[in-house]
Amino acid sequence: MTTLQASPCRPGRSAAPPLFVALALVAGPFASEGCGGGDEGASARRTLHVFAASSLTEAFRDMEGPFEQRHPDLDVVLSFAGSQVLGLQIRQGAPAGAFASADVRLLDSLARARIASEVQVFAQNELAIVVPEGNPAGIESFAELPRARRIVVATAATPAGAYARLALARADARFGPGFRDAVKSRIASEEHNVRLVRAKVAAGEADAAIVYRTDGIAAGLEIVPVPPVLNVRPEYAIGVVAGAPDPTAGERWIAFVRSAEGRRILADRGFLPRPS
Amino acid sequence: MSTHAYQWRGAAAAFPMLALLALPVVGLATASSPSDLAAGVRDPSFAPALWLSTWTTAASLLLLTAAGTPLAWWMARASDGRARVAATVVDLPVVLPPAVLGIALLETFGRQGLLGPALDAANLGLPFSSGAVVLAQVVVSAPFYVQGAAAAFKRVDPELLIVARTLGRGPKAAFFRVAVPLALPGLVASAGLAWARALGEFGATLLFAGNFPGATRTLPLAIYTALESSPQAATALALALAFAGAGLLLPLRVIPAFLGRRRRRAPGRWSAPPGSPA
Repeated sequence: MTTLQASPCRPGRSAAPPLFVALALVAGPFASEGCGGGDEGASARRTLHVFAASSLTEAFRDMEGPFEQRHPDLDVVLSFAGSQVLGLQIRQGAPAGAFASADVRLLDSLARARIASEVQVFAQNELAIVVPEGNPAGIESFAELPRARRIVVATAATPAGAYARLALARADARFGPGFRDAVKSRIASEEHNVRLVRAKVAAGEADAAIVYRTDGIAAGLEIVPVPPVLNVRPEYAIGVVAGAPDPTAGERWIAFVRSAEGRRILADRGFLPRPS
Repeated sequence: MSTHAYQWRGAAAAFPMLALLALPVVGLATASSPSDLAAGVRDPSFAPALWLSTWTTAASLLLLTAAGTPLAWWMARASDGRARVAATVVDLPVVLPPAVLGIALLETFGRQGLLGPALDAANLGLPFSSGAVVLAQVVVSAPFYVQGAAAAFKRVDPELLIVARTLGRGPKAAFFRVAVPLALPGLVASAGLAWARALGEFGATLLFAGNFPGATRTLPLAIYTALESSPQAATALALALAFAGAGLLLPLRVIPAFLGRRRRRAPGRWSAPPGSPA
């Protein structure tokens, strides 16, 4: 048996406010990560906590190594969860240096409350339907979504869930009234972030889920595209969190995300370029 | 040092733990006004979640006592070795994190789990159903009932059971007329703890049963879901749940004590011998 430790990484990470700790506990698989890597000389490196929408998991992990190589004085610790949960944690004083949200409006509202600054859009995404291996419900197009016995979406409070509901409302207008209700009657669960939605399809428990196209790519799942007339183009925004011990560290991460190298990594993971 | 000073020191040493347990409740209570609480109760997510929590925990408690009592009886009377193995298995849900239990339940009853294909073929697919909520609650709360009930049965004097048998009672009557009444305070107290654990169940439910209003969104899940859009509503819901928990915990503390007192006051029928705890 392993013993319980207050901090699995290194001392000095326990200054989080209670609500943040409580949320981190329930955030489960998307709780803080990034203990590993280059512990030698760790005392000289400062920690930069980056909070990011769960859909950015692979892209930001890809950026961590090259960024730390370029900024050897910084140790990046990534935390992924639903953007709305991260926003709440930051409002409660979570020690984040930078925050990347799947909904630009969430960061705008933080900026209006002077909790975030230097908000910039850095990428776009699209919605897609993912189906489990073998596509058991035989869904070949968005119009066939009601064929699924079980559909999983994200909660209305998450960006992914809000975008999915927007697409369904558009589909209702296009495929005739009753389409949205037919889909809604098949919804078996509402998950707290888009990666938990995807997990239900990856495990074969749901026949279809509405997620970001990049989530399907990252998991190697079969993707059914959402037609452009129905699709939503969410804009991802990033900003510096006010009260961070070292605002320049967050600024350097943002600069890297927006650099040519950052844009290439995002494109490799299927993200669309930011609107120029 | 005087006895009085020792007692005072003892109380001072006991206080920090008590304060740590009481303070969060005070914090929760002061975070919302009575009008906030009223708003929480009127929140559209409250009533369906309360109803779902009520009936699923009632169902899980019924299943748990029906299936757990025979196990506890067997554990109380089995040989030490076998009882120890059984006790270890029963304790597993306490040791395993709820998230692990949720995944384990999916791997067992999910579509691609051990029993999933058979269940699915029989149209008894459990995940995302209220049945999954009940099953998760039974599993996480079972240790609290089974261990407590086994301990209560162990305190029943075997001589009394033998006496009942020599008086012509069958083993069934000896169990229902002697063992169960004597162990009742312990059984009720353990059932109460198990019920409280089922009411608070979150992690395994979220993973195994999902989160859908009316079907699987119990009060703890409703609180977490509300937290995403309105922390104020979540606090009010949490306060309402804390009230419900406290309101039901109190009788659970009082009833076993009452049962024990009644037995001591009315000796003669199946009174425990002097010195045996009620």
